[in-house]
Parts: sequence; C-alpha cells; structure tokens
Amino acid sequence: MSDIIRIKSMTKDYGNGRGIFDFDYSIHKGEIFGLVGTNGSGKTTTLRHLMGFIKPDSGSCEIDGLDCRKNSKEIMKRVGYVPGEIDFPDVGSGDNFLRLQAQLLGMKDMSYTNQLIDRFKLAADAPLRRMSKGMKQKTALVAAFMSKPDILLLDEPSTGLDPLMRDTLIELILEQKQRGATVFMSSHIFKELEDTCDRVAFIHNGKMIEIIDRRMYDPTMPKLYRIGFENKKEYFSFIKKGNFTITRKNDKYRHLIVQFKDNETNKFLCELAEYNMRYIKYIPYTLEMYYTEIIEKGGKLL
Amino acid sequence: MISLPLLKQTIKSNWVIWSAMTAVMTVLCVQFSAMEMTQSLLFTIFYGMMTTILPGIYVLVTANKLLASQVDRGSMAYVLSTPIKRSAVAVTQTVFMVISLVLMFAIQTAAHLTVNAVDPLSLETMAYNALSGELTGAMIIKINLSALTVCIALAAVCFMFSGIFNTAKYTIGLSGVFVGESILANMLAMFGSLGVDGLDNFKYATICSFYDYQSVLTETNDWLVKMIFPIGIAVIAFAIGSIVFKKKDLPL
Repeated sequence: MSDIIRIKSMTKDYGNGRGIFDFDYSIHKGEIFGLVGTNGSGKTTTLRHLMGFIKPDSGSCEIDGLDCRKNSKEIMKRVGYVPGEIDFPDVGSGDNFLRLQAQLLGMKDMSYTNQLIDRFKLAADAPLRRMSKGMKQKTALVAAFMSKPDILLLDEPSTGLDPLMRDTLIELILEQKQRGATVFMSSHIFKELEDTCDRVAFIHNGKMIEIIDRRMYDPTMPKLYRIGFENKKEYFSFIKKGNFTITRKNDKYRHLIVQFKDNETNKFLCELAEYNMRYIKYIPYTLEMYYTEIIEKGGKLL
Repeated sequence: MISLPLLKQTIKSNWVIWSAMTAVMTVLCVQFSAMEMTQSLLFTIFYGMMTTILPGIYVLVTANKLLASQVDRGSMAYVLSTPIKRSAVAVTQTVFMVISLVLMFAIQTAAHLTVNAVDPLSLETMAYNALSGELTGAMIIKINLSALTVCIALAAVCFMFSGIFNTAKYTIGLSGVFVGESILANMLAMFGSLGVDGLDNFKYATICSFYDYQSVLTETNDWLVKMIFPIGIAVIAFAIGSIVFKKKDLPL
C-alpha cells in the first residue's frame, strides 16, 4: 500500500512546551487514520500543517509527494477539510455558502451536495449566523464531503452532532473509504474512532506516544470479564489458584477483572462452577481503556 | 491571479456598507452643490472633509473584513481549503478594495457633474479669494481623482495591517489610529489654511495633504504631481500586506 500523507520529523514549537514535537509517520492511501489526544495535545496543529496554513519549524509534511505549504493550491484540489473552529464567511444563508464554496471548488454538479443535505437533515436555507452549533457542523461537513475529495482532513468532525447524526457521519466516513478516499481525522470520542479507523495515533503534550493498529483491539485478543464472589474465602481461593490472569482486584467488594482468550471459555466456566458467584460481566476492551492505560503509564514517564 | 468566485463572495459580504457610504456621499454632494445655502461650503465641508471621512470609514471597516477578521473568525479556512493560492486571495481582495472605491467616487462624481451641468457653480461665491469663473466638469473630475488616490492610499495602509495581523482588534486599532489621525490632521490643517495661525503645520502630518482641490480650482498642476505619492504609498502598502499574508502562519 502506498503512502499518501508523509510527515517527516515535523516540529512546531509554540514555547512553554506547547506545539508538536518530532512527528514522524505516514498514512496509507485508502485508510482511515485517527488522531487522538487530550485538548491542546497538537491535533489541530497537525491538521493545520497538512492544510498548509502553517509552516513547521523543522521537518516537513507532504501529501502525495507535494509539500503542504508550498503546493497548497494543487493539494486543495483533492482535499476536503472540516476545521476545528466553525465560523462561516459572511454570505447569508447556508445555501449561499455551499453554492459559493462549490464555485470556489470549480464544482458544477450539485446532486451529491443535495443528497448530503438530505442525509444530514440540514435546513440549508437558514441564515448562517442563526444556526446552532450542530447545524453549523453539518454545513461544514457537507462543504467538506460534497466534492468527493480523495483526502479528507477532519478536525473533530462530530462536535455538536446528536447521536443519530454521529452515526450518519460514521456511515459516511466508511463510505468514503469504500470509494477509495483517505481519511485523516482527529477526535476524542473513542467510539467513533473504533467504528471507523484502521489505525489510531495517540498523542500527548505534542508528542507521539503510539500508533495502534485495528488488529490490536480485534476479536482474537484476550477478553476481560468482571466476576463478583459471594464470600471472601472463595474470592481468595480463586486468586490463590492463579489459573487466569487477574488484571485488577477489589478485596472490599470481592470482585476481580480476569482476562482470557475465547478458547479458554470452557476452562473458565468449569472453574467458576465450583464457586458461589454473585455475577459475571463481560467488559469490552475499548480504545478508551487502552488510552487511559497508556496515558497513566506515560504520565509517570513524562 | 483573480478568483471570480471569491470576488463574488467578497461583494456579497461588503455591498451593504459600500452602498450606504456611496449613498451618503452622493446625497451630501448633491445637497452641498445644489442648495444655495450650502453652496459656499461645498469645498470646505464636502470636498475638504467628507470625501476623506466617509471613504475613510468605509476602508477602515472593509479592509479589516477582507483579511484579518476572516482569519480571526476562522472563516478564511473555507476559502483556503479550495484550490486558490493565498496570493490570489490577496490580489482579489486588493482589486475589490480599489474598484469599490473607484465606483464610489465615480457615482458621486457623476451626480455632481449632473447638478453642475444644470446650474454651474460660480467660484466667486466661495470662501477663497482670488477665484473667478465657473466650476467646470473637468475640475470636478480632477478634484475627485485627487481625492480617490488619497483614499486608495488610506485603504492600502488599512489593508496592510489587515494582512499583517491575525486578529481584528489589532487591525482595527492600528488602522483606526492611522485613518483617524490622517483625517483629523487634515481638518486642523484646513483651519490653518483658512487663517488660524499655527494649525497650518498639521498638513505635514497627514497623507490627505496630497489631495489638493485648491490647486485644481486655481488651475495649477500641483494636484497632478501630488498624486504620485499616494499612488506610491498604495502600491507599497498593498504589496507589504499581500506578501506578509502569503508568508505568515495562519491559525485556521
């Protein structure tokens, strides 16, 4: 698979430890790449570099072999962008804005635009200034997706959307992948990254912590269960046997979090049969848990 | 170099204030030149002050809206996420600024020419001494050309600030100080020329001194020579604003 976005040891130092430091990674053509991090960790700064709005202090970023800052005109022919802060030009209604935006993009056919407007249930004839946050976000999404660009750069695209619209957005993002587009999105909503991304990069305080692949949270990995015991004696005897990996325990409430693979399910149930159980609960292993673990670990390191 | 869709967008977001200023200026011009009571003040009040104050307000507000305020609010992101170079954005906005001022003066001049053709103004009624004959159409055109170049220079300096700063408050602040100072010093200098001692020196403190309607009325060519300076300032300031806008980091 060829790389379409290349970021090479890119650094932008805003002083006081803010900015991004030595980012170095590539995004393959046709993949959905997520960028996750706390507020101020450098997500927006990264996207601004890719859009050519700012120049890195050192290093470079390229889209399809073209420098993002120098060749922005060429690159913009193929890019759709949803900015993190939404404020529109002073041109009246949403319809007007989309029409002018289409003209700037050199688009003639508005049928896909109208389709998107329908899908997002957008009242595009409303004046831009009076739009709610969600409506503005939908308008921005339509503007970014309507030209069917090869590359989509989305800065927290689901901000302000209701849960139903968020699902519509996820569907739409997956459709873009199907038609071969590359999507680079930042978010701090793990659910939507899990549903869409092939790879997710974790950043914290402007530093790249890790890039994880979809494989790392796929079905073959060990699963987590929380089990509660009726009495203390049995609780301790389970721990003592040590047949299963215990990731967390709580003596007071007599519950454990154990981890095992699907093929050990029988063995696990047989062992539990000997005990008087209060409950058993499956805990889906999420990106969020992974992130929390990393940041907690990282927090000690940094 | 010019983006027509962007020009269209710019016209859409700026036509209201342009229309308002043009209308006010034209109505005032017609009033001062047509009503007998105010005819004697046509040059001191209207051509002396209004032709710089009204366009001054217009350029102050508009220059900020053309670049800095769009960067400040973030709406510039939409323009720049389309295949258009930053230099083309700067050139398009410059073209809008200049053409809108040209049109503003053209409409006002046309109105004045019409009024003057019906009832030519006698220059002897003016507050200045040593004038004779009637106000001609050529004079009106020359006076307005002289005023136009100065207003374009004012616009260029405001545009320069708009290109340099990412926040509207700095742009409006510095442009406001510049336009305000230019207009105020021009008014003080005018009182000086009307006989108040000492105020005359203010003419060295304002770009408006390059606008010389008196030399047109006395039929000397000073006004033409003086036009070189505002044109020079305009070219330099538009260039600086555009180059800085092209090079700088944008927080979009």
